[in-house]
Amino acid sequence: MNLYVCIKRVPDTEMKVKLKADNSGVDLAGVKTILSPYDEFAVEEALRVKEKNAGSTVTAITAGPAEAIEVLRTALAMGCDNAIHIELADGSDSNMAAKAIAECLKKEAPADLIYFGKEAIDDGAAMVPQMVAARMGIPSVTIVTGIEYSGATIKCKREIEGGSSETVEVTLPTVIAASKGLNEPRYATLPNIMKAKKKEVKAIKASDLGVAASDQKVKLSNFQMPPPKAAGKKIEGDAAAQAKALVQLLHTEAKVV
Amino acid sequence: MLQTVAFVIVAGIAFGYSGFRFAKLFQLLKSMKGRTPKFGRVAERIVTATVDILGQRAVLRDPWIGVAHTMIFWGFLIITLGTLEQFAMTLNEGWTFEFIGQTAYSALIWSQDFFTAFVLYGILYAAYRRLVKRPKNLGQSQDANNILMFTGSLMVSIFLMNSFHVLGSDPWFKDSYFISKHLASVFGGLGFSTETNHGLYIFFKWLHMSLVLGFAMYIPGSKHLHILAAGPNTALKHLDVAKGMRTLNFADETLTQYGAAKITDLSWKDALDLYSCTECGRCEALCPAWNTEKPLSPKSIIIDMKKNLYANKDLILAGKADEVTSLIDARVTDDVIWACTSCRACEVACPVFIEHTDKIFDARRNLVMMESRFPVEVQPVFKNMETNGTPWAFSASERANWAEGLGIPTMAENPTIEVLLWVGCAGSYDERNKNVLKSFVNVLKRAEVKFAILGTEEQCTGDAARRIGNEYLFQSLAQTNVETLNRYAVKDIVTACPHCFNTLKNEYKDFGGTYNVMHHSEFMAKLVATGKLKPTQEVAKKITFHDSCYLGRWNNVYEEPRSVISAIPNVELVEMKQNRKDGMCCGAGGGRMWMEETIGRRVNVVRTEQALETGAPVIASSCPFCMTMLSDGVKTKDKVDSVRVLDIAELMDASTS
Repeated sequence: MNLYVCIKRVPDTEMKVKLKADNSGVDLAGVKTILSPYDEFAVEEALRVKEKNAGSTVTAITAGPAEAIEVLRTALAMGCDNAIHIELADGSDSNMAAKAIAECLKKEAPADLIYFGKEAIDDGAAMVPQMVAARMGIPSVTIVTGIEYSGATIKCKREIEGGSSETVEVTLPTVIAASKGLNEPRYATLPNIMKAKKKEVKAIKASDLGVAASDQKVKLSNFQMPPPKAAGKKIEGDAAAQAKALVQLLHTEAKVV
Repeated sequence: MLQTVAFVIVAGIAFGYSGFRFAKLFQLLKSMKGRTPKFGRVAERIVTATVDILGQRAVLRDPWIGVAHTMIFWGFLIITLGTLEQFAMTLNEGWTFEFIGQTAYSALIWSQDFFTAFVLYGILYAAYRRLVKRPKNLGQSQDANNILMFTGSLMVSIFLMNSFHVLGSDPWFKDSYFISKHLASVFGGLGFSTETNHGLYIFFKWLHMSLVLGFAMYIPGSKHLHILAAGPNTALKHLDVAKGMRTLNFADETLTQYGAAKITDLSWKDALDLYSCTECGRCEALCPAWNTEKPLSPKSIIIDMKKNLYANKDLILAGKADEVTSLIDARVTDDVIWACTSCRACEVACPVFIEHTDKIFDARRNLVMMESRFPVEVQPVFKNMETNGTPWAFSASERANWAEGLGIPTMAENPTIEVLLWVGCAGSYDERNKNVLKSFVNVLKRAEVKFAILGTEEQCTGDAARRIGNEYLFQSLAQTNVETLNRYAVKDIVTACPHCFNTLKNEYKDFGGTYNVMHHSEFMAKLVATGKLKPTQEVAKKITFHDSCYLGRWNNVYEEPRSVISAIPNVELVEMKQNRKDGMCCGAGGGRMWMEETIGRRVNVVRTEQALETGAPVIASSCPFCMTMLSDGVKTKDKVDSVRVLDIAELMDASTS
């Protein structure tokens, strides 16, 4: 099987968010970066499918600036066979990334399964997987928490609103957007880390894939920090008085009832 | 002549067989692939081995069985002289030791009787202990019973032989048989002829020699192998109390196996450890894992690894290294390996200086680095260390937040300092331990010590990563830290964390970082001794002190924290039953801080119960992890209102304010 995992380099979850001086975005100077956590589920899932299907290969793809290669090394260390780095400028939008990835995939060996994380934890857009699927004319299943594989059709359990789930049957090839619960991502073994350092990463320029400046549909501007959290209020009195005061506050201050 | 021929044949077979077995054991030892530790300091080794072997120092730490063992040990050394003469004279009657002179020879004869009785007493006590008293950690063992039977029969046969020697041959030195001659007068009452008595002498002599030869054949397959292995093992022991873990060289590309996947990945010293174990169970008696019903027993892990080695013996000797089975097997399971808190009570208790933790660490290294097989809750800990240089999920940029407003300079501000305060992750991020650091800062300021911190340039020392088995992660942290410390030319470091203390002091040497590292207990003890700190306030009437393993057993610092507590006015320092080198771990060492504890009772609760037994309202700790574990223990025991867990820095802060 030809398995692809599309991954993104994102700031570490513990970073302290600071804005750039001109509010054009988040200041990432000196910030540690990681493989987006949902993408780890995607990598792990692809590796598990590979391990059950002899002769399969897993190719990790990322679109981003030069530093994005770091996450490809992480994916290779986890066990991916190949890596492709699509050189795409920082600040490109989901449409550009999706176009670049879709065009890249069309040139590679035909995919059976293309895995994504359900969203990247930096912008949380959750758009690229579906856009790639649309561009390739194949189905996509998002927020997947469980997969039963059986030949050309697979059953995906996906999270839906209200804390419940649904099961979707889909025919390969397909895009899968992985969510927490799908698996427990592995910790790379040292021999694989060592090997990953030496593996070749194929570099492709986004422009060679037909991605142009005009593909950028969204430009982000004027970032603002959320207002600081106000101190909580303690409602005193007996239960009846407390309930009354709470409803009053919900009505007049929170304006939700 | 007949006897000579018979002896040559029998002894040839016996010694041939046991010699063959010993040669195999030696070959097995040489087949071990693990990196062999270096053994320098020969003079020191000779001295300490003499004291430990001939003086039986380590064995005598347990006085009753220690004395019995010493009697047996010394007795056998002396009796062996008589046995040698016996063998010599059986080969050629003229080869008697009488050439040493009449007086000396009489003394030799006397010593044979004396030491036979001596050994017999020792064996009787050992048998009583093993069969009647039955200490829990000794266990039941057919091998042990066989050894008692062999050694006991050997002594009885000597007395019988000597008695009938007196009756049958009337030797000139018969008066030197000062015990046997009385037995002889008893046997004389049987009224046998001189010929019969001489015949019986020959019979018992052969019985004795057969027992010796039989025992020689028995030893290679028995735990009694320790009589040959324990001596060298003692001479080759780790000489210093402080011990760093073995450093792996990742730059060495020929190194493809990290840690021990198979028994052969251990070193020959590890194999010698296995040969040396005599299953006394002193390790098990003190093991916090075993004593809280975990599957790990330090005694069993040694016995089980020896079984693994022996089961693979033919494959190893045939050079079929690939077919050797895994070190983790039905007996030494993953749970066994992960249960260890690396408290080192086993190693410190071992009378033959077996180093259990080396083997457990090597097994962990393989599981983590080669197989990525470890408790799932550890993964985020590794990831946090990788990205943020701390096991806790906090940003590296927040590391110095605890010190805001305290006016502590960072090294980057280029201050003149006497000492660097190494804060550690717990002091930086854990709410409870931040207060400990603040107290220690108060103490330092009061004593007018000039100090600074690294601030956000500090990283986790990597202690937990290393002890869990992630040597690669540890080394990357260590290298960065050493670079930072060396960039500032740091010489003196003080820290309130015994884990940081141990790593900085004993393990950073291998990465080019040599510092004078002090634990805050040592530092405060010195400040008190030199009069720079004057504790004047009473803090509590009674305080009990819990020893941190990485301060005590790993670094031999037992008295300094106690002297800090004792410096407080009107305080009674009450010891728990298990204290100092016998102290029980809090359960957090060896990376256990970051693992769930799902089997048996909780180590921290059991240790807290021991602390509560003292009735002291304050449990003093000197380690952030012990602090967390004991505080949780006090909560579990619902004693929060009556018992406080305080760091010695907090005690000193309160007493000097």
